[in-house]
Formats: sequence, structure tokens, C-alpha cells
Amino acid sequence: MNFVVLAVALPLLAGFLSPALGRSSRALVQWVGWGTLAVCIAVLWAAWARLDGTSAAIAIGGFRPPLGIALYLDRMALLFALAVPVMVLLLWPREGTPQQFALSLVLAASATGLALSGDIFNVYVFYELTAAASFGLIAGRNAGMAQAAALRYLLLSAAGSVLLLAGITIVYLRTGTLNLAHLASLAPERLADPAGLAAFALMLIGLGVKAELFPVNGWVPEVYASVSGRLAGLLAGLVSKLAVLVVVRVLVLIFPQPEAAELMLVLGMLGIGAGELAAWRARDLRRQFAFSSIGQLGIVFVAFSVPGEAGIVAGLAVALHHLLVKPALFLLAERWGGSIEGLRGAGRGQWLASGLFILFALSLVGLPPLPGFWAKLLTVMGLLEQGTGLARLGAMVVMAATVVEAAYLFRTLAVLLAREHRGRLPEPHRWLDLATASLAGLVLVGSVFALRPLGEGLKAVAAQAADVDGYVRTVLGRAAASRGDEAPAGDPLATGPGSSPPSGGRVRGAGPVAAAPTEAAS
Amino acid sequence: MTLLDGLWLVSALTALGAGLFGRSPATGPWLTVLYGVQFLLVALMGSLAYGAAPVPASVTFDILGQALSWRFTSLSWFFALITAGASLTAAWFMGGAWARAYEQRGGDLRLLQLALALNPVTMYVLLASGDFLSLFVGWELVSWASFLLMLSAGGVGVRWAMRYLVYAIGGAMAVMGAMVQAYAVTGSFAFGALAAAAPNLSAGALWSLVILLAGGFGVKMGLLPFHLWQAGAYAETPGPGSAFLGAISSRMGLFAMLLTLWGVLGFAVLQGLHVPWTPLEANELLAWVAAFTLVFPTFTALRQNDARWLLAWHGIGQGGYMLMGVAMGDALASAGGLMHVFNHATYQAALFMAVTAVVYRTGTADLNKLGGLVTRMPLSFLVLLVGIIGLAGLPPMNGFVSKWLIYRALIDEGQPLLFVAAVVGTLGTIVSVYKLLHNIFLGQLRVEHETVREVPWSMLSPMLVLSVVVFVTGLAPGLVLDWVASAQRELGLPVLVPTLGGVARPDGGLDMLWVVGLLFAGFGVGALIFLAGGRARTVHQLDNYAGGHFLSADVRYHYSDNFYAGLMHKIGTWYRGSFRWLQDAVVAATDFLAQGAVGIYRSIQPTAWLLGVAVLALWWVTA
Repeated sequence: MNFVVLAVALPLLAGFLSPALGRSSRALVQWVGWGTLAVCIAVLWAAWARLDGTSAAIAIGGFRPPLGIALYLDRMALLFALAVPVMVLLLWPREGTPQQFALSLVLAASATGLALSGDIFNVYVFYELTAAASFGLIAGRNAGMAQAAALRYLLLSAAGSVLLLAGITIVYLRTGTLNLAHLASLAPERLADPAGLAAFALMLIGLGVKAELFPVNGWVPEVYASVSGRLAGLLAGLVSKLAVLVVVRVLVLIFPQPEAAELMLVLGMLGIGAGELAAWRARDLRRQFAFSSIGQLGIVFVAFSVPGEAGIVAGLAVALHHLLVKPALFLLAERWGGSIEGLRGAGRGQWLASGLFILFALSLVGLPPLPGFWAKLLTVMGLLEQGTGLARLGAMVVMAATVVEAAYLFRTLAVLLAREHRGRLPEPHRWLDLATASLAGLVLVGSVFALRPLGEGLKAVAAQAADVDGYVRTVLGRAAASRGDEAPAGDPLATGPGSSPPSGGRVRGAGPVAAAPTEAAS
Repeated sequence: MTLLDGLWLVSALTALGAGLFGRSPATGPWLTVLYGVQFLLVALMGSLAYGAAPVPASVTFDILGQALSWRFTSLSWFFALITAGASLTAAWFMGGAWARAYEQRGGDLRLLQLALALNPVTMYVLLASGDFLSLFVGWELVSWASFLLMLSAGGVGVRWAMRYLVYAIGGAMAVMGAMVQAYAVTGSFAFGALAAAAPNLSAGALWSLVILLAGGFGVKMGLLPFHLWQAGAYAETPGPGSAFLGAISSRMGLFAMLLTLWGVLGFAVLQGLHVPWTPLEANELLAWVAAFTLVFPTFTALRQNDARWLLAWHGIGQGGYMLMGVAMGDALASAGGLMHVFNHATYQAALFMAVTAVVYRTGTADLNKLGGLVTRMPLSFLVLLVGIIGLAGLPPMNGFVSKWLIYRALIDEGQPLLFVAAVVGTLGTIVSVYKLLHNIFLGQLRVEHETVREVPWSMLSPMLVLSVVVFVTGLAPGLVLDWVASAQRELGLPVLVPTLGGVARPDGGLDMLWVVGLLFAGFGVGALIFLAGGRARTVHQLDNYAGGHFLSADVRYHYSDNFYAGLMHKIGTWYRGSFRWLQDAVVAATDFLAQGAVGIYRSIQPTAWLLGVAVLALWWVTA
């Protein structure tokens, strides 16, 4: 399994080499980038195939967890990790400079790392690296507006990082470890109090800056409206989901308290309301999509706040649906940017683009049997099954937001497809943008015919992700029963390589990198 | 392959054909034939109405651990027959001359054909639903199909279609809420599971189910206060489309409500559900909502100056009779309510077609710009006359029978106030439809309409067929009441045993054969007197003479504007537009909130929000 590290290391290396290579040939950098990403896809795919549904941990540098830093591979991590190179490749900044290629590669490396990290320290490092790469990409377009937006993003992101760090500090002070598996076994004892919750709140808000959590998403509309559609798609579709993924890991593994999920639910609900309502008033197409993305991320948070497997299934469904649809919509907005009123009649004659827009809009609103409907249904089912007042309110908010969403998306469509048009129509879409969006459309329609296997697949992913004992066992090799019942093995800082877990040899310290499949442990 | 599979296949093929070749008016007759095959397939399932076992579909789905299934019951069949008839006649009406004219005026014929064809497909899916999940899927499909039909007009129609969309999605979300709530209680989307659990549910849970289902499906029916979208959306759809929508589309709401509230929860549960602080039960509450729905929109119809709008408003009001009938729940009333679905579809389609015929020839549906067309378009006049007699609920047309059943049941059940509401509604209808007939066909002919001719046979024939149905089912209502009886049985309601002429009861039944016979005997006597009596001289219609003066054609004396000034003087003050105000208030409140939301993202210091929420969150988790 050790080769998985390549998926993080290779693009990082390529990224750092790119500026130097770019001095001689721009095309070379581009090809190196594509090649690297292709290798990443192959590596992650091989890992997916090799693991075949089991989970594994990789101890970097041979230091066994909880001392060393670890990568953790399970279905959910690999799913999102696999999405990273695929999306970066599809949304590659084709007209960019070698610097932008380099930043894209760094973004790919750090985002993959974020998906695979098995400890909070790594998470923080990769999170900062992701942020740095995105600043560069956003400001790169040399437009005044983009730079102003990048500054706004920078300020918020920096403040968010401070909060995240504060949260991590509390966790470390209370437990003395940053390894997620170790934390999972210590949390019931050391973090099940208001201080622990405070740590979660700080981490949630800190990570929320990138995950478009309300109200720390003030950068979203400015940034998405001023950068290229491809970059907006990448940020809205991919980067936000990875931040959500980290939040979910932390929530599931360390903070099973209902208050933690409730905080997420409340902020998610507010985000849905604010995002969808603002989108309703938006008069600029990219801004409308940006606000709609805030609303959708709100639904993702609301869905993940449902405890247990049901919540993870619903959250994954909503997140993956948005991951597919929103970048495609941003690609369509590449030529249809600007004031919506100015697009009157622009959709007539460009029937492929209009048809795709209609398809995505229908799926977002949730016309059965399109996937968006099932995602929404799973969310509402999860919420209403809880039976608490707050969850019921959450379901109502999700459903009310659907009405608003339908109103603005189809109002925009009515303008696009109006029979009369005013002034000069925008240029037709570039074929590559259309082809990429069509690919998303095909996947969307194709998934209608594979609903059952998809549903079962998601269930399997969620079951594995919700299995805290399994996580602990995979990483630490410790028996599941020890969690919470038995005192942790002394001061965690003292848990050196000497005190090896019962099934020794599971995590081999011999090689530079060691892996421990669950199968062997159980 | 069952007949239901065949019906789905043929209707899907019709839609495919319309989408591929619908651009050419020449496809009209071919599509009409396909609609005819659909009608035939529904008719072949006719044994459903006489006690046969449900017809299943071969298609089933397994998703989320739930099985989706479809089947036609006698209730589905009753509504499917009306759907097939409405779509067949609408397509027939559209298929020939009308389509050519529409194409020449720059209308998007392909879109219209496709939208019209998609409506029956989706409706057959909805009508066949066998569990909550398939019901919801069908419900959404129907909503979007009718949205497409409303959009096909372009222009003003788009605005109304958008309004419909917002209402429809709101309704669909209410239905989804109810469906998921049922799932939360029973762990299944099956109808049977909820039916079994219903008697043990708390009143609160039942009320929330009833309100969500009745409200959600009521949006489609145009129940007060969710009716504001319907008149505009139906009226502004191109002619044949509005005939189809007006005939059956909003009845899908009634079907779904019957299926879930009556069929699944059960009428006994509704009757046992007490409305707090009132003497009413849930079913009586629904009857009262129906009463308001039949009175207010009817009088709003009276004020319309556009023939299509007038009819569309009446469509909302007539929906009230149907719901009132089934909400009373005894054999007579529910038979009346269900039969009214059939009756309304037949005359409403005929009426919309007659008005469309007038628009086809004169270019306007404005009731102040027409008049005297009776000699120019005598057959259209006849169709409109038959239609309005049906709509007003007067003998000898079928509308009379269904309304008589409802009146009779209201008296039997001791509901004098509802009875008064029903009668007031009928009164308003009579007054209003007279205005329709008078302003279009009677009085002074306008000079510009002197050369107007009757519409071609391609349009006339479906109109006449519908008129014959309106008359025949009025003469022999037992034909329809048989089907209604099996639908009642399916819903677990008391069953009315009909005779061919209506109902036999010891305390005075209804035999339409006698009623119509006597009526026509009276007409015969009148005709004899007329023919035996005066001599008549035929003059040109513009050759008028009144009060000792010759009236030239440029003098306008056709009284149409501010019709019923006296009545309006009395009731005009009631029209404060309260519902419109309510709707605008909701929109304004949303807009206000949205401005606030936009304000958050306009703030110069977004980090202030970060700080604020961090402090609040810390306070919340530590408090």
C-alpha cells in the first residue's frame, strides 16, 4: 500500500519543478502535469482495487502511530482522493501560465493529502497548503477584481486557520495526541466535555471557511464571480468537499456528542437559507451559482449532521451530486457570465448547453428519478427519522430552499431561452467546456440507470466511515473492545515504539513505510 | 406484457413521435391516431370498472431497500379514461387546421405537441402508483410535464408558468414531507404499512399527515388559498393545451388526495379527527375549504373579461364541488363528487375548444370585443351552449346529475350551510356563463366579424363529440355512475347503486330519462307554437332597427362592459384581493430576508462574522 504516498508526493514534486521547467517550455510543464495527474489516478485506482473495501493505514517514515504521522485509506478517503486528480485534470487551467500549472499541481497534492490524512497535524499542513495554492490561483488572473477577492479570501482564510489551530491546540492539550485513531480511543474520556466541544466548534468554523460554512463564507461570491469558471468549479466542487470531509472525520471519530452535530445542523440550516435567498436575488449568473453553492454546502452540512450511517450516506450523496453538477454549471457560465438580464435569448441556438443547464437545474431541484432527488430524499429521511424539533426544522429548511432554488434556476432558464434577445449575444461555448459539462451530464443520466448499485456502494462507504472501532483497529491495531472501557495506555506521549500493540507486527516499523490492512487485524 | 405496459409504451411512443416529428403540422393526424390507441388501451382495461382485479405493470424497481410498484385499480382507470379522452380530443382538435395556423403565426408546434404528449404519459405513471415513492415520482413528473405545456405559449404564459412552478414545487415538498413522515413511522413507503399503522397514530401525527397531503395535493387542485396560479397558467396556454389542462390536469390533485387520504389513511380516520375548538371533523374541514373554493373563484370568474380566464376560474370553482362531494363521504355525495370529475372534464374541454375556435377565427378572446357570432359560427355556438348548461349544472346535461347528487346528500347529511354555499356557487356560475354566451355569440355583430366563418371540421368534430358525451351522460348517467361505484368501492366508501337514469330512492330519486323527456316535450310544444305562429322575415344581421331608428353598424349598442353592474355594486366590495395580498406579502417577506442575506455577503469585514460566530458557538457549546 505504500505506493499511495506517490499520489501526494508526485504532484508536489512536479509542482515545485514546474516553474523551473516552465522557463524552457510551457507545453512541457503542461504535459508533465497531465502525466503526473494520470499517474495519481492510476495509483489511487490501484489502491482502491487492492484494498477492495478494506481499510489500511500507512505510517510515514516508519514511526508507528500515534507517534508518527499516518495516512488512512478507506473507501471514503479514496473516493475523495480519487476525485482530486480527476477533477484537477478535467478543470485544468488550459490557458494558464506555468505558475498556474504548478499551483494546480500543488493544489492536487495538498487536496489528496487532506483526503488521506490520518492525523490532525497533517490535516492542518495540507489545509494551509491548499489555501496557499488557491490564493495564487485566484489572484493569478491579474484582474483587479480577482485580486480584491483573493485578499478577502486570504483574510478570512487566515483568521479561520487561527481558529482551526486553536481548536487543534485544545485537543492536543487535553489528549496529548493528534492522531485521529488515538484521539478516537481517548475522546470519550478526555474530550466529552464543554472544552472538547469548544475545540470542535473552533475546528468546524476554521475548516468551514473553505467548506463554505455559514457565515464564514463571505469570500465565496466575490471569488467565484471573478475567477474563471474552471477554477470556480474546482473550488466549489472539490476543495469545499475536502474540507467537509475533514469535518466529518473529526465529527464521527472524536465528537459523537449530539451538541457537535447540532452546531453543524444549525450553521448548515442558516447557510441554506442565506445562500438560496441570496441566489434568488442575484442578478449575475456566476454570483447566482456561487450563492447556490453556499446553499448546497449547507445541505451537505445538514445531511452530515444526521448521526450514524444514514447521515453519512445522505451527506455523501448530496456532496457527490454537487461535486458533479456545480463545476459543470460553472463551465457553462464561462461564456454566460455577467448579468443574467444580458443573457436574454442566449440559450436559443446553443441547444446542447441549454439542455445541459436544464438537466442540471432539474437534478438540483430534485426531479425524480435524477440523482439530486435521491440525495435530497435521503437527507430529509435522515432528518425526519431523528424526530427532534431541530432536525424537523432542518428538513423544512431543506424543502423550502428547494422551492426558492426552483424559482431562481428556472427564472434564469426562462431568460436564457426567451424568444426575443437584446443586443449582442455572447460567443458560443468552447468545445472543451461543453465536452466536460456533457461528460458530467452523461454521468448524471447514467447514474439514473445504476441507482441500486450506487445506493449500495454509498452504503458500504458510509458503513466503513461510520465504523469508529474499525478505524482505531486499522491504525493502532488495538482490539475494538478497548475503546472507552479500558484506560488508555498511559501517557500517550510515552507510547513509544516499545509498547507495541497486542497483535504486534501489524504495523511494521522495519520499512520506511508500513501498511496494516484490517483483514489481518480482525 | 400487461395492458398497462402497453399503455405506457404507446403513450411514450406518442411523446417520442411528437418530439421527433412534431414540428410539421402534417404529423397531427398520426399523433391523433396514437392518442386513439391510448384511449383504446384504457378502454380495454374497462373490466376494472366492473370488479376485475387490478392490472399490474411488469416494471418494478428496488431502491433504498424499497420496492416501487405500479398498478391500475378501478380508481386509476376512472381517471385514466378521462385523461385519455381529454388528450385524444385535444390532439384531434389541434391536429389539423389549428396546428397549421399556429405554425404560421410563429408558434413552436414541436414544443406544444411534445408537451401535450408528455402530459398523459406522466399521468398514466401517476395514476398507476402503488406506493408513496412511486406516487411522488409520478407526482413530480406530472407537475413538470404541465409546466412544460404552460411554457409552450411563451410571452405572458412564461410568467404564469413560473408562478405555477413555485406553487407546484412547494406542494411537492409538502407531499415529500408527508411521505417521509409516513416512512419514519412505518419504516416503509408501502401504502399498506401506513394503512395498518393509521388507527394507532396520535392525533398530532395524523393532522400533520392530513395537512401536508391535503395542502400539497390541494395546490394542484387550486384549493384556496393556493389557487392564484391556476387561472392564468391554464388560460394563457395555447388553446388545445388549455382544453386538456382545464379538463384533467388539476384533477390529478384530487386523485392523489383520494388515493392517500381516503384510500390509505381511510375515510373513517378523517371522520374521527377532531378540529380543535370547533364542532368540525377533518373531513368537514375539507368540505368547508371546498365550499370557499367553489364560491370565491366562481365570483372571480364573473368579473373576467377574457373568455379563457373566465373558464379557467370556473375550473377552480368546480374543483370545489368534487372535493365537497367526496369529503361528505356518503354514497350519494361521493358519487356526485367523483362523477363531477368526469362531467367537468367533458364540458370544460368542449368549452375551451369552443372559445379557442372563436379565437381561431376572430383573433381575440376579449369578451368586450366580440358579439353576434351565433349566425356565423352556429355549431360552435351549439357546443358552447351545451357546455355552459353542463357547467352551470342545469338539466339535461351531465353537470346537473353530479350537482344534484351533491345537493341531495348535503340535505340528507344535515349540512344547510354547505348546501347554501353550493347553491350560491351554482348561481354565480349560471350568471357568469350567461355572460360568456351573450358577449360572444348574442347581440350585435361587429363589422370586422362580418366575414367570419365556422371553424373547419377538424376542429368541430371533437367539439361535437364532447357535446354528445355531455348530453348522453346527462340523459343516462347510469353509464358513468357504474364506473363511479367501483371507484367508491376501491376507496372503501359506501357505494351508490345506480339505475340507467340516475338513482332510485324511496324518498324521491332521480331519473334523467324522465327529466330529459319532459324537458324536450316542453321544447316541442314551444317549437310548435313558434312554427305555427308568427311570420318572420330574415334580414342581415347588421340591418338593425330599434326605437324608431335605424342603427348603423358603427353604433355600438352591444352591452358587454361592466356586465352585471348592479350585482357588482352589491358584491364588488368583497373583492379586496386578500389572497393576492397574502401572496404578495409572502413574496415581499422572502425578498426582505433575501436582501438581508445579500447584505451578509456585502459586508466589508467578513472576518467580523467569523469572530462573531466563533464567540456565539463557544458560548453555545459551553453554556
